[in-house]
Amino acid sequence: MILYDYVLSPSCYKVRLLASLLGTGLDLRPVDFHPGAEHHGPEFRALNPAGTIPVLTDARLVLTESGAILTYLAAVKAPEWLGHDDPAMQARVANWLAFSQRLTASAGGARLHDMLGFSGDIDTLRAQATDALRELEAAIHARRRRGGIFLAADRPTIADIACFPYAALAPDGGVSLDPYPSIRLWMRAIRALPGFIEMPGIHRLHEQMPEPGPMPDVVRKESA
Amino acid sequence: MSSNWTPVALSQDVLPGMAIPAHLQDQDLVVWRSATGRIAAWHDRCPHRGMRLSHGFVRGEFLSCIYHGWRYGEDGQCRKIPAHPELAPPAAIKVPRFAVCESAGVVWVAPEGETSEPVDLPGFRGFRSVAVNAAADQVARDVAGQGHLGGCDVVMLVQPLPGGDCGLHVLVADGCADAQLDALSHAIEALRRRLEQGVAA
Repeated sequence: MILYDYVLSPSCYKVRLLASLLGTGLDLRPVDFHPGAEHHGPEFRALNPAGTIPVLTDARLVLTESGAILTYLAAVKAPEWLGHDDPAMQARVANWLAFSQRLTASAGGARLHDMLGFSGDIDTLRAQATDALRELEAAIHARRRRGGIFLAADRPTIADIACFPYAALAPDGGVSLDPYPSIRLWMRAIRALPGFIEMPGIHRLHEQMPEPGPMPDVVRKESA
Repeated sequence: MSSNWTPVALSQDVLPGMAIPAHLQDQDLVVWRSATGRIAAWHDRCPHRGMRLSHGFVRGEFLSCIYHGWRYGEDGQCRKIPAHPELAPPAAIKVPRFAVCESAGVVWVAPEGETSEPVDLPGFRGFRSVAVNAAADQVARDVAGQGHLGGCDVVMLVQPLPGGDCGLHVLVADGCADAQLDALSHAIEALRRRLEQGVAA
């Protein structure tokens, strides 16, 4: 599978993250999204007329929406991540995939405004992001009351991966995550999953890494 | 409920090995819990380069800064500077601490040296903390004496936050069923909407 990718895109990161969690490789094709705007050029438009990233291709299949890409990747590599145990769980996953678009439009829009100078009504974007984060917080708290932490099941599914990046990067758009204790615990649970990978702005849990030794140049100086 | 203690978080939201941001009036705090469960509240600023320690990480009984890994012990004293492993960190490198204690499932903070105890709330436990975009004194007046919400017995603690917002920490009486707690959570959201509309009006 080929992923047309931009390292600072949270939507591309969703795909890279899921692939890593599933232990599967992707053939990455970097797109010069900024400043080159390669995604608006004729070659990329021939692949995806909408001119958006990510795009995933597998033989003749071309997918241009991150939710569909996550669904396909999970269906091929690890169907338990689809959350299809029963109709209610399947519908909850679908609901969260749709909800993730609200996070992308609001928190993601505020982030593009603040980081890359995109146009938009920043106050409205931040207010919409706050509404979405409050809904997410209340839903995760309800899961916690029943001993869970993940959105749609007692295990992580593509619902969590779809919502995680734009929630985690909300501070890039001037939307603080300080008031959301349940979102904090949920993000921590995702960051603790085996195979978790980072993107700029979303770091791993350092406490789970081995204690680093002395830095190499210090060792050299001491032995000299 | 006049007290020198301010509710800053619920105990259930600070698991062992976690550091979170919090506030005491206009002061930014890091509240963190060690691997063995000890809670601490400090100035949220690494003395080295000013990075927020709430972005840091806990290993065992130490809190480390995310920026350069400077490590601090329970007394706030710097214990290790990874770039200079042979250096014993000078005693002057120390993070200011606050008094902290936990009761009724609430993390309470006061200026260092506080000798009183926070208010005792037997039979209640922490349920939800939410931020409200309304002034603390106005919200405190609104919820004063209100011991029921969404069909549950509750205690509501109001915390002033920087920028004119406030935190609302809702404690619930022991023994409520899942359905009651679901109703309480919805009632908290409804209360917040009403309080925030009060600001807009």
